[in-house]
Amino acid sequence: MTARILPHERIDEFVTRLMQSAEVVAPRRVEVADVFYGPISSPGEVAWDYGTAIEPLKRFLLPQRETMLRFSTNGGIKVEAECDERERVFLGVRCCDVTGVGVMDAMYGGDTPDPYYMSRRERSTIIALTCLQAPDETCFCVCCDAGPFLTKGYDQQWTSLPEGMLVEIGSERGEALARANEDLLAPAELDQIATRYRLAREAEETFGDFKSYIAGAMRKLSMNEVDPEVWEQAAMRCTECGGCTYLCPTCVCFTVTDRMNGSQGVRERHWDACLNNCYAREASGHNPRPERGDRLRARFFHKISHQWAERNGRQACVGCGRCVAGCMAWAHMPAVTEGIRRGVMT
Amino acid sequence: MAEIATVCPYCGCGCGLYLHVRDGVVVGSSPSRSHPVAEGRLCLKGWHAHEVVDNPRRLTRPLVRRGAELVEATWEEARSAVVAGLGNTLEAEGPQAIGVLGSARCTNEDNYALVRFARGTLQTPNIDCSLRIQCVPDTSQPGEAWRAGVSTGQIADLDDADLVLLVGSDPTEEHPAVGARIYQGRQRGLRVVAVSTRKHPLAGLADVHLPVRPGGELRLIASLLHVVLAEQGMAGEERPGGEDLRAGVADVSPEVTAADTGVSADLVRQAAGLYLSSQRAVIVYSAGLALSAQSGAAVQALHSLAALGSGGSGRQVSVLSLLCRNNLQGCRDMGVAPDVLPGYASLGDDAAVQRFEQAWQCELARGTGLSAWEMPGRVRAMYVMGDDITRSIPDPEATLSALEALDFLVVQDIFMSPAASVAQVVLPAASFAEQDGTWTNLERRVQRTRRAASPPGEAREDWRIIADVSRAMGKPFPYEGPPQIFEEISDLLPIYAGVFYPPLAVNGGIRWATPEARDAGGPEEARLRPPPAEALAAPGSELRASDQYPLLLAADPTLRPWDGEVMVSQMLTVAGEFTVLIKDYPDGMLCLNPEDAKRFQVRGGRPARVVSPKGECQMQVRVTDEAPPGVALVPHNQATRLGIMEISTDQAGGRPLLAPTPISVGPAE
Repeated sequence: MTARILPHERIDEFVTRLMQSAEVVAPRRVEVADVFYGPISSPGEVAWDYGTAIEPLKRFLLPQRETMLRFSTNGGIKVEAECDERERVFLGVRCCDVTGVGVMDAMYGGDTPDPYYMSRRERSTIIALTCLQAPDETCFCVCCDAGPFLTKGYDQQWTSLPEGMLVEIGSERGEALARANEDLLAPAELDQIATRYRLAREAEETFGDFKSYIAGAMRKLSMNEVDPEVWEQAAMRCTECGGCTYLCPTCVCFTVTDRMNGSQGVRERHWDACLNNCYAREASGHNPRPERGDRLRARFFHKISHQWAERNGRQACVGCGRCVAGCMAWAHMPAVTEGIRRGVMT
Repeated sequence: MAEIATVCPYCGCGCGLYLHVRDGVVVGSSPSRSHPVAEGRLCLKGWHAHEVVDNPRRLTRPLVRRGAELVEATWEEARSAVVAGLGNTLEAEGPQAIGVLGSARCTNEDNYALVRFARGTLQTPNIDCSLRIQCVPDTSQPGEAWRAGVSTGQIADLDDADLVLLVGSDPTEEHPAVGARIYQGRQRGLRVVAVSTRKHPLAGLADVHLPVRPGGELRLIASLLHVVLAEQGMAGEERPGGEDLRAGVADVSPEVTAADTGVSADLVRQAAGLYLSSQRAVIVYSAGLALSAQSGAAVQALHSLAALGSGGSGRQVSVLSLLCRNNLQGCRDMGVAPDVLPGYASLGDDAAVQRFEQAWQCELARGTGLSAWEMPGRVRAMYVMGDDITRSIPDPEATLSALEALDFLVVQDIFMSPAASVAQVVLPAASFAEQDGTWTNLERRVQRTRRAASPPGEAREDWRIIADVSRAMGKPFPYEGPPQIFEEISDLLPIYAGVFYPPLAVNGGIRWATPEARDAGGPEEARLRPPPAEALAAPGSELRASDQYPLLLAADPTLRPWDGEVMVSQMLTVAGEFTVLIKDYPDGMLCLNPEDAKRFQVRGGRPARVVSPKGECQMQVRVTDEAPPGVALVPHNQATRLGIMEISTDQAGGRPLLAPTPISVGPAE
């Protein structure tokens, strides 16, 4: 599983080949300045020089709205599950997002796998693209062991060198993909690999003052040493917009609805947000977490407590900074971890 | 999967939003990061905007009433019924007997077509939008660059501001994109002064909160003007109207007004001090101010305060009028109002009338018509497009009865509504995601909305439905689509001159400006004018507590403003977030300060008996320190149906407003 080099002038050919047998999802520029991961219809659509995509891969692996099954009650009950069995290659994915998929794997795989998620996941190839510098001032993957370069968790990891992409192999699937396209690749030289490690260190230096000191907050949270007032203050700075939840690479809560049309129906799964007042509210009207501060505490506990890190194999924040971008007030990861550390929210 | 750039269909902020489309179905929503308002954020409503598109409760077929039932019909049948129904009333009673309601949630093109239909085809001057009740009456003078109720600045002004003055506005609930900038601005030192009866979250975080007593808003603003004038004068240059303004507020020092406003002089002077030391301020108001009596004078006073900023002091101040709905601004721009033509041209302006008559190839009804709140009881037939009149104006029951009693009612909408349920004809319309068009947000920003999917079943674009009816009535429209309608709008409305479809495809659209502002090359500014003396007079004794009625009840438009609204209550997943008010407090959410709850022996979650001079009712109690001592708050959406609140008629605009009402409160038996 040695590293290869894919010359820049051969990248489009490589991508074309990928497109022949799979849906290739890559960062694309939409409306000039917004970048989304999405299916490409030509190699030229890939925005190799992008910063970050507005949303993580969740939109493909766990869509905002997906059909789980169709049923009809006309002349007996018939139920048909609907599983997405499309082959996909996720190309040019930032390391934070790759790490996020790993956390989703822990939550939706393991002992009680979710068939809808796993059906997509098992048919996905993930090709990471490292960040040579902090893409956004809101990025803090360096605080979360989730970038700007990874040592595992990917099928392939590409780093842009002057002569081409350094292709690191992280799995059997990644190796098989390299083997199938050996004619486009060359073995990487030692000095190219050394360059990769130098670039990784240099990239880390470019992350500025904006940091989220998760470790300190993690300790206090896990030991139940956070003053309840901090959660009350955080609650005053949260508007339950759902942005952090919907944008987070590792938030996976959902709700299920049935839509009927006469005797036929569809069961769908939709994104849900635990910060919402009615998220856990029961039919009786009882709400196990009636205060927003309680809901915030539960959310952050799930994200960065030691207890949950044990369950998921790592803490659930990947430092992608999307909660910072999407927060309608002041209750995102860096804001709250700072509040936890200081004992007061600003 | 495709991402279609469009605009959020909820509040007046107009955040750029992408709809995700898979196999022709709209399946998700995302924020735009490059959009000047959204900047990568959406509120809960925006994140679920797709849920009202592919929704099982959408109207998909025309319905025609047969006896007690509405039954499905073809478009031909429905159209014939509409033509017959309107025709009968026209013949028997004349155009004055027909009322037309336009929509703060439909496109500019839809609304423009409706105005042409009303004043041109039907020849009726009775055209309005019921949400105009939330608009401040216009006190601007002809030829002035600014208009009352219209923003002079933009939301991004908050990014450089050092002070924001919130007046009656709770951005967290009403305008999240504005709220976001304030929460975040605080981190870099933005000072917040909040004038509001309710201690909403931003008021709780504010540097100074002025908990004004309901009815005291104008006097409070005037006392701020008093202090600012005393401290900085005209800031080094005499301004037209300056002397009158100084004289007009000479008698309303904070010490004098404290008893009526409920705000101590100290606090007012503190707030004024912050304002005086600011270099870049933004003044923000919303329905919380606009639905109070004398709101016209209050907003005029805010503009005077803003205008005092420029000149010698160097302070730059913009004023944001936070309209509640995605296209309330555009709907008014298009002339959906009984007293103006599209573009705010005066009905008495012969040249303007001639331009429209030439374009429309017919005479147009030039009179001032009935306002929305006057129509149900005074016309015989109505045509309602995307308007929720039973929700906007007081006494929903009476309104619904009046609608039911009409000879003919046709409702055009995307979901069934109370009005639709009593109509003779219901026409299924396309949603925001199913037609191209433009909306104008609270910053005067004209933005493109884009068709992302086909309308369900036989639903059609609103403008096309109207054009078809007009043609069947002998007045065809020449438009092939929204771009042609917009071309005409751009030609005939001076404020939309220079706003074309192609540039509107760029994220963020174009903000319109009045010709005077364009000539002046800068932001519009109001002339300094003193508040009218009679408006400024101390509120009467009916607003004071008495032994019999020891509390003042106020209807709060900023409290849970979206609960029960059709486009949130029909969502598939988070509807609960917007209906919990109705579930938990079905008779009314009476918000009481803990002191008052204790004093009157009522408990949270339990029913209370509420008595006013006008009547009595029962409500469920919510104990919260958001309510100040002495004042009980109920969401405006629920207050309209209580029957115990006084209704005052706004002098300037004739609007029926729920007035603060003295009450007594006790446990229900």
